Amino acid sequence: MAKMHLKLTVNGTEHECLAEPRELLIHVLRERLNLTGPHIGCETSHCGACTVDIDGQSVKACTVLAAQAQGAAITTIEGIAGPGGMHSIQEMFREHHGLQCGFCTPGMITRAWRLLQENPSPTEEEVRFGMAGNLCRCTGYQNIVKAVLAAAAELNAAKEAAQ
Amino acid sequence: MSYRAPHDLAQVLAARAEGGWRVLGGGTDIFPALAAGGAPGPLLDITRAEGLCGTAETGSGWRIGAATTWSALARAALPPAFDGLRAAARAVGAVQIQNTGTIAGNLCNASPAADGIPALIALGAEVELASLRGSRRLAVEAFVIGPRRTALEGDEIVTAVHVPTPAPGARGVFLKLGARAYQVIAIAMVSAVAWPGPDGRIAGARVAVGACSPVARRLPALEAALAGAAPGEMATRVAREHLAPLAPIDDVRGTAGYRLEAVQEMLARALAQLAEAMR
Repeated sequence: MAKMHLKLTVNGTEHECLAEPRELLIHVLRERLNLTGPHIGCETSHCGACTVDIDGQSVKACTVLAAQAQGAAITTIEGIAGPGGMHSIQEMFREHHGLQCGFCTPGMITRAWRLLQENPSPTEEEVRFGMAGNLCRCTGYQNIVKAVLAAAAELNAAKEAAQ
Repeated sequence: MSYRAPHDLAQVLAARAEGGWRVLGGGTDIFPALAAGGAPGPLLDITRAEGLCGTAETGSGWRIGAATTWSALARAALPPAFDGLRAAARAVGAVQIQNTGTIAGNLCNASPAADGIPALIALGAEVELASLRGSRRLAVEAFVIGPRRTALEGDEIVTAVHVPTPAPGARGVFLKLGARAYQVIAIAMVSAVAWPGPDGRIAGARVAVGACSPVARRLPALEAALAGAAPGEMATRVAREHLAPLAPIDDVRGTAGYRLEAVQEMLARALAQLAEAMR
């Protein structure tokens, strides 16, 4: 199988690698770029553990070829924390026990990160709709929703303080 | 496997004419099927081709580009008759799937439980097909001819969906029943578009049901029964015999009997919602 030369921009860094055209983005991220934050849960687009951000939209990295993501700005869970430490969403997941086994957490946080940019002050219902593509098989949804709402409040307070 | 994503529609059509390429939209049906093993074959990604994304008003209605995603459709400025289609757009999988899945992909995948199809039928939509031989249009009901079967020829692609200008005052609705609210395959779906006459009574309606027959079906007897009703009476006009065109199956998601019970109730609720929207 002839390999393709891929150029992918992930978390602001340009990566080059050789991959087969059939390789899904999730496999290239994990196995060729060693970005193992996005997880493989189901590989059938149900679970959302592989959620990454592509050009400002949440996408399941198991439903896109790496070749399709060339030229796009990709953000994975590794790119969410700032130089100063954890992102508020990560802090709030910790504080509100938004994770149990943690398997779904990278996808949950990457999705929540985009959701709160799309809608900085969501209602509980909007959080539940916005996060519906991410499954937690520990069924910790109550605390996940709480964590996202708390992160929204914290981010909004920080924005106000900065003004 | 090879992968191509031409920017030029002519190159897309040339590749289709040459043969051997499988058309790729958002990939939300093709890629999950790979987890079971196997290769998808050479993929022709049409989402980069010019003119295939976005919605636009035309002289006779609305054109929705084939590669328009469900998220883009949900956000598009469309008249209230499209509210059912917009609700369907937000019921396809969940946000991540809506961000990549396309309207033409939903049509071409031709699942009996395709979320977009009942709403498109209720809008009287037509599918625009193109090949190097030219282009043609088919009503959605003539395009989707069976489970996983469409009228698409091997050298064609779907280029757009056309919706005729809705009648003045037309409103649309869509309801989906699943085991959970999102990220679920429908047990049943109903969609309706109705419009009032000058006297405020229903001048016409189109009602379609999905996931209760091999392809989504209209309910002509119910549509006839709605004509002349006051909007608030619509829900009371639903009768079991109107469901005759449906042929639901027993499967893992529900029994045929449950589906018929549910659809009758969903129709009443959808029509009540439509009456509210028409006030």
